[in-house]
Amino acid sequence: MYLSLLLLIPFLGALALIIWPGSASSARLRELTIVLLAVQCVASFALLLPFDPDQAGLQLVEQARWVHVIGLDYALAVDGLSLPLVLMNGVLCLVAAVASREITNRPRIYFALLLVISGAVNGAFLAQNLLLFFLFYELELIPLWLLIAVWGGANRAYAATKFLIVTAVSGVLILLAFLGLALVTGTMDFSLRPILSGEMGMTSQLVLMGALLIGFGIKIPLFPFHTWLPDAHTEASTPVSVLLAGVLLKLGTYGLLRFCLGLFPEAWQVASPWLAGWAAISVLYGSLAAIAQTDMKRMVAYSSVGHMGYVLLAAAAATPLGLMGALFQMVSHGLISGVLFLAVGVVYARTGTRDLNVLRGLLNPERGLPLTGSLMIIGVMASAGIPGMAGFISEFLIFRGSLQPFPLATLLSMVGSGLTAVYFLLLVNRAFFGRLAIAAGAVVNPRILQSVPLREQVPAIALTLGVLVLGLAPELLSGLSEAATTSLSQLSGGLS
Amino acid sequence: MVVSLPWASGWFRRQAHRPAAYLNILLTLLAFVHGSLLLQEVFLQGPVDLSYPWLTVADLELDISFSLTLNNLVALELITGLSLFSQVYSLGYMDKEWALARFFALLGFFEGAMSGVVLSDSLFQSYFLLEMLTLSTYLLVGFWYAQPLVVTAARDAFLTKRVGDVLLLMGVVALCSFSGVMGFGDLYAWAAQNNLTSFAATLLGLGLIAGPTGKCAQFPMHLWLDEAMEGPNPASILRNSVVVTCGAIVLLKVMPILQLSPVALAVLLVIGSISAIGGSLVAIAQVDIKRTLSYSTTAHLGLVFIAIALQIPVLALLLLYTHAVSKALLSMSVGGVIASTNCQDITELGGLGSRMPATTTSYLVGGAGLVAFLPLGGFLAMAQGIELLSVRSVPFMAVFLLTNALTALNLVRVFRHVFLGDVLIKSRRAAEVNWQMALPMVALSVVVVLTPVLLVRLESLDGLLAFPLWAAALVVGSGLIGLVAGAVLPLSKAWSRSLNPLLRWFQDLLAYDFYTERFYRITIVNVVAGFSRLAFWFDRNVVDGVLHGVARLSMQSAEGLKLSVSGQSQSYVLTVLVAIVLFLTSVSWFLT
Repeated sequence: MYLSLLLLIPFLGALALIIWPGSASSARLRELTIVLLAVQCVASFALLLPFDPDQAGLQLVEQARWVHVIGLDYALAVDGLSLPLVLMNGVLCLVAAVASREITNRPRIYFALLLVISGAVNGAFLAQNLLLFFLFYELELIPLWLLIAVWGGANRAYAATKFLIVTAVSGVLILLAFLGLALVTGTMDFSLRPILSGEMGMTSQLVLMGALLIGFGIKIPLFPFHTWLPDAHTEASTPVSVLLAGVLLKLGTYGLLRFCLGLFPEAWQVASPWLAGWAAISVLYGSLAAIAQTDMKRMVAYSSVGHMGYVLLAAAAATPLGLMGALFQMVSHGLISGVLFLAVGVVYARTGTRDLNVLRGLLNPERGLPLTGSLMIIGVMASAGIPGMAGFISEFLIFRGSLQPFPLATLLSMVGSGLTAVYFLLLVNRAFFGRLAIAAGAVVNPRILQSVPLREQVPAIALTLGVLVLGLAPELLSGLSEAATTSLSQLSGGLS
Repeated sequence: MVVSLPWASGWFRRQAHRPAAYLNILLTLLAFVHGSLLLQEVFLQGPVDLSYPWLTVADLELDISFSLTLNNLVALELITGLSLFSQVYSLGYMDKEWALARFFALLGFFEGAMSGVVLSDSLFQSYFLLEMLTLSTYLLVGFWYAQPLVVTAARDAFLTKRVGDVLLLMGVVALCSFSGVMGFGDLYAWAAQNNLTSFAATLLGLGLIAGPTGKCAQFPMHLWLDEAMEGPNPASILRNSVVVTCGAIVLLKVMPILQLSPVALAVLLVIGSISAIGGSLVAIAQVDIKRTLSYSTTAHLGLVFIAIALQIPVLALLLLYTHAVSKALLSMSVGGVIASTNCQDITELGGLGSRMPATTTSYLVGGAGLVAFLPLGGFLAMAQGIELLSVRSVPFMAVFLLTNALTALNLVRVFRHVFLGDVLIKSRRAAEVNWQMALPMVALSVVVVLTPVLLVRLESLDGLLAFPLWAAALVVGSGLIGLVAGAVLPLSKAWSRSLNPLLRWFQDLLAYDFYTERFYRITIVNVVAGFSRLAFWFDRNVVDGVLHGVARLSMQSAEGLKLSVSGQSQSYVLTVLVAIVLFLTSVSWFLT
């Protein structure tokens, strides 16, 4: 019953927000949402108590028959792979709600949608039935589409439509693969278990895995399926960007590990050299494209493309170390991109622009945004893989885990890690260093930038602390998941 | 514990002002005292290793491990001591700075990372801390972030080191994969019975030397040190003395692994020689007082690289220690000149000798310590070096002597410009520096003078003084040649840029550092920028273009289908059913 709570809290909360009688102010609704999400966050962390990290398999299993005819059963469970992601979802949804202080347009629906996303993502991470997973995977799509389409920026219609269509294609591919699986295995039992060569020919395995791969590749996103992401980020509001980068992209990487690798270990092994190459291309492409960006948010978005490529690289190698790195990268990327998007959001809110050709000298202690600048620098350095912060640990684990199977792809990905430093340094140097408001041409904001109260910075500070803590004490996370990643790796013979 | 002391102070007080500085100084003093106690203990009882498990995942085991050996502790004392001096110095130098607390916080961070590097007993940990050093260098150089030159300097410092670090990371990861261990002791054992292909060993070796090359500002990654001079001077003191030492110490620690690869050793020799001679030549052509020093740092570290490549750790350490104290003193003195004249161009300075006695004395003592002036540390190191080289590789003796002569020439030239001669407009109102700056200068002068004594006492080197007379003569001779050349060199303004085209070309070549910066711009910067533009273009036109094409196509076909709309819901249902059946049959046919 415990896991269901993680779904019930947000879903019932959303329902309550909608039918709440009378008119409630945006601030009141926000407070209510924060309370609900805080409870959910605490409940997620309370999972740590019954959770046994030494056990590789599923824990806290909950099962109930639902629409059994089509194979849809209600089955939830948690393991070392999903637990960190559930925790991160709890934290980031709370952060997003706290950061949503400027919602005046239909706040009731906005906050309800936020809650629905949080519940749906939890559902997807916890689901142990393929159709149930798919249900939650699609359920999170509509609210996010609305969040971009209604509360987005100027070009939101284009971005939201693109997002919807492209990720709907991803959903269709995944559903097709799941249905194909049912057809071939002849049972409607969708519970998760690896398919072995005795049951299915290699071609069929490859085809089904390919469909899943492209489906999740769109979501992750990997080159060349990534162009929806920069557009969606640019138009989305700050909290939505935090959620999008921090949590929703992780559904893709989670799917990659859980379904592509977990269901088709043999096909995965066959395809892995190609996947490693794909990963390296994605990393380099994302990083190079990021260098050319002048919009801060687009730059951070392209950096996600590059950094999610590492996950594919590590997954392709499928060594115990690599998989741990992949999981670590998901969590650290979630936290780091949270910090970066929050900082960019503050800059945009205060200056009205994100254009790196215009912004200058925001570190100015009196008239600028010194604290935001400092957080930005920490976030940027974490993203570039400077030790002491979470990004370094995940990169080191991934590189170390993938070097032996795929030396060239790993070395190329390391070059990508060097390029990260290039574009993020450009960002910091242009926007935060230099003199305030003396940029050539248009002066952005001649007036003194309104200083940001400390309480508005609390979410970013909290995430930054998380980045530092995980960077200095990585055992906190690796201890939770080691059993699970090791057993996943053994599945595909990654130990060889 | 030793490490965490100065480090901890860095983090949590960014907002307080003077008290933060005092606290930081106090903690550094504590670290220094603690270090000396440890040193004494280790001296009497032999080295101690400390190790704590940090991260264990699958087959990877990472420890936090420190090795308290005599060499490491001497380096630690050097770092904490010089850091202490330069912190007191910055109280004076940065007197009116509004962000003093931030400066001290960064210095603490900086110092902590350095202390960690020298004590570290694992390659992973060394990398970890070197990278933190990169970060803190970036922040320190970028301290005055509102100035445009500082911004580019900080960027270049970070990126240059980052290039080295990424290559080093490749080396570290590869080494970790090959050997499965990260402690230096285990790595040496592994290296002794290695079975790598020579190609892999070469790549590995190159990766490992790339990091220190960047850190020690060696050719071709030397530009940052020169540009970093835009940052606050007290940090420059540390950068020119101990930061480069840290890089070299890491190189020293991986030396046994480098033996696997003859190519890497050869590259190291080439890098060292080019840096040594090129650096000293370029230094002579500089007119910025700080730059003359930074290039001479590059040159001296080049000598250290040669020593490491030839596997003479004793010489490398001697050179490092003597260089660090002398260069720190020189930097302090130069900082004093800048602080009281607000001018860095040596052609605009003059006659400061009588006005700033303490600064002048420090310059003289520091310079004497750096070049092989008879009884001082530099002389001991050099003479020792010549003796050791004479049995190993004679050509590099020439490199050493030439570098020494050129360094002497450069220092004398700068001395004549700045401290002798007529009092020029900009130095008219110069006064001696305040006591916070003078105190460390005087104290460090004493240290420089005492260095030979300390070396003889501390280093249990029996042969420290056992070099033949001819070696001493050669060293002194080279120094004298430089001295005389520097003394007779015409300094008239007309000479500062020659009219003779050939000479002028040569002068410009040196003054602009062999046009390295332009070379970078044409090569690596252009390549990266070009690729990034290409990727962006591809993104917008090809990837998005295909997507938009598909969208347009489907819109058009939808327009076409509109004509077949009948309005009967049955027909829709039929269409959908037919589609599903067709799809499922195709799937099942395909899959079975």
